Amino acid sequence: MDVIEQEAGSVTIVEPRGRIDSVTAKEFGDRLASLLNTGRHRLVIDLKSISYISSAGFRQLLIANKSTEEKNGKLALCGIAGEVKRLFEIGAFGDLFSIYTTREDGIASVQ
Amino acid sequence: MSNVAAQETAPTVRSSAEGNKPKHTAPPQWAGGSWIARFLRRAYADPILAPDVKKPASLFYNADERPTAAIALSNGMQHVGLIAINLVYPLLVCRAVGVPVTVTEEMLSLGMIVLAAGTVIQVLRLGPIGSGFMLPSTFTATYFAPSLLAARLGGLPLVFGMTVFAGAFEAALAPLLNRLRTYLPVEVSGLVIFMIGVAAGLAGLRTLLGPSAAAVTSPEWIVAGITLGSMAGLNIWGKGIARMLCALIGLTVGYLVAIPAGLLTSARLAPVFSAAWLGFPGFGHISWSFDPALIAPFAIASVAAAMKAAGTITICQKMNDANWVRPDMRSVTRGVLTDGVATMLAGLAGGVGTNTSTPSAGLAAATGVASRNVAIAAAGIFFVLGFCPKLTAVLAITPRAVVVAALIFTVTFIMINGLQVMMSRMLDARRTLVLGLGILAGMTIEVFPQSVKLLPSSIAAVAGSSLVSATVVALVLNLIFRIGVRKIATLEIKRDQVNAQKVEDFFTRQSGAWGARPDVAKRAAFGVAQLVDAIADTCWESGTMTVRASFDEFNFDIDVTYPGERIDFPDERPSVEQIRDSEDGARLLAGFMLRRNADRVRSGIKDGQCTVHFHFEH
Repeated sequence: MDVIEQEAGSVTIVEPRGRIDSVTAKEFGDRLASLLNTGRHRLVIDLKSISYISSAGFRQLLIANKSTEEKNGKLALCGIAGEVKRLFEIGAFGDLFSIYTTREDGIASVQ
Repeated sequence: MSNVAAQETAPTVRSSAEGNKPKHTAPPQWAGGSWIARFLRRAYADPILAPDVKKPASLFYNADERPTAAIALSNGMQHVGLIAINLVYPLLVCRAVGVPVTVTEEMLSLGMIVLAAGTVIQVLRLGPIGSGFMLPSTFTATYFAPSLLAARLGGLPLVFGMTVFAGAFEAALAPLLNRLRTYLPVEVSGLVIFMIGVAAGLAGLRTLLGPSAAAVTSPEWIVAGITLGSMAGLNIWGKGIARMLCALIGLTVGYLVAIPAGLLTSARLAPVFSAAWLGFPGFGHISWSFDPALIAPFAIASVAAAMKAAGTITICQKMNDANWVRPDMRSVTRGVLTDGVATMLAGLAGGVGTNTSTPSAGLAAATGVASRNVAIAAAGIFFVLGFCPKLTAVLAITPRAVVVAALIFTVTFIMINGLQVMMSRMLDARRTLVLGLGILAGMTIEVFPQSVKLLPSSIAAVAGSSLVSATVVALVLNLIFRIGVRKIATLEIKRDQVNAQKVEDFFTRQSGAWGARPDVAKRAAFGVAQLVDAIADTCWESGTMTVRASFDEFNFDIDVTYPGERIDFPDERPSVEQIRDSEDGARLLAGFMLRRNADRVRSGIKDGQCTVHFHFEH
């Protein structure tokens, strides 16, 4: 799994690519924690290039969501489609995250 | 495998997403402790949708929400308009027998009351009866050809008796529907629907062109052409309500044109003028008889009615829930059972078979009003119309040119719907032969009706219907050709060589080779990959995991065996805190997701070997 980071003003866009499973979830979670610890509290996680996310990956997203709230920041998800969208549905995560269709909408929501 | 069945349960169908509960706009409060209040609360006021159902944005009122009386009534009238066209079926059955107009009037009046009753019992929940959805009852083409056959053989009493049988058969079938999928594959359902359309259309045309029919006059051709043209024109180029009610408007146009064309003379109109505006329908025409020779056509028609009702209820489930994942078979079973009971009521009340109205489900989706109050309003309108002899007299004398044109219009859609259902499956050589030979068997009976005489007399009585011949040939061939269908493949994964991509590649390769649906293959691949992911660190410490996948077109089964501990598959999602803050959070969530991912999950352990079984319906 690769993680691409971009900045748009005060917002950091994180784009993981590949699979987020038990092997890669820790690395992904550490990356998010590192961003939050360096003061990047407005995050948009673009999942458009993810082919698979396991329960371990969802756990890291929930941890990041809580950490963001504790730091009075905002976290939004976007680019959720296809199989990843189905996994969000079977995990019943639709209402636990702020989810947007496009990256632009996600950025606007956390600014 | 002593403990293998320890955890078997069906997954929950609904999403358990928090929040997003439908807004109930003041449902009726039958407060108090009287048994009537309790009965009404249980049967109607209690919500039918799960609390965690998410209302789709396109829906103004879901099944549980209560629109104003004006909205309920206006929508109810639209549904009545949509359903009214199907009164041609009892009308044509009466014509086939040549009963007096008064009997036709009685049958239509009682028919409308039966539609009201069928709609009400579908919307209420009384014991095992009632899906609770806004799903009006309608007369149907499904029973038309068998009813005509019964009418010719034994008059109306045989039609009514066999209709009671068909309803009972459908009701008995309801709890078995899911298990019968193997024997009633989708493509054969399509064939049955197609042949229902063909048989009904040809039966209608016989009343105009058949050897015993009176010659069609020029005015009749003109009226039939205008009727059919109006319906087709409005359906193709019309918009909004005009398009939605194109069949009813076309029927009215044809009726009005028939007067100047001389098809409705003052003598023929006399029963309308003499009929009262209000009156009780008569029961004098009702009696019942039974003929074993007609069991097959009515049983096959009731199977088709059950499958159609199941499909319509599934549409309602989907319409009411943005998070809909797969059919809730409990609701489907209740709905199909109710559909059978409604047909039994129709037969007992001297009518032909009924079915849930698929166009009504479409209308609810189009208007965004799926409230159960609308069904109650539609039932109320039908009930009132049942006590209006003048209206039923108008319907009873509808010229045959108008009725047959309306029938042809509706069966066209039934036939094409059947073709679409058949073509929805990948038609390999096996299915091609099942469908092709089935259609040919049905057409043979239509084109060469004398050919049944070549069969032994006991079989000839059953095979004398195109619907029966086509269905029996297709079902028998389907059973024969299933020999050797089940395919098996095995994958071994060593503990120190876990590779989720390898698992995915295995399922992609096998599902492609087996012709399995990609969405099912993805669910299967996720099931194994997520299981491996969840157990690798805690439950599976060493040794080899064996993944055995088997596929037989209707079932995709996976057995995963590994040395280690069992994982739990909870029905409820662990709390956010449990997932996030517990070290076991990911594994707990994995169990919940795996349960929802598969249609059935069970696990067991024996001699240190844990087995997890995933079942996916295909």
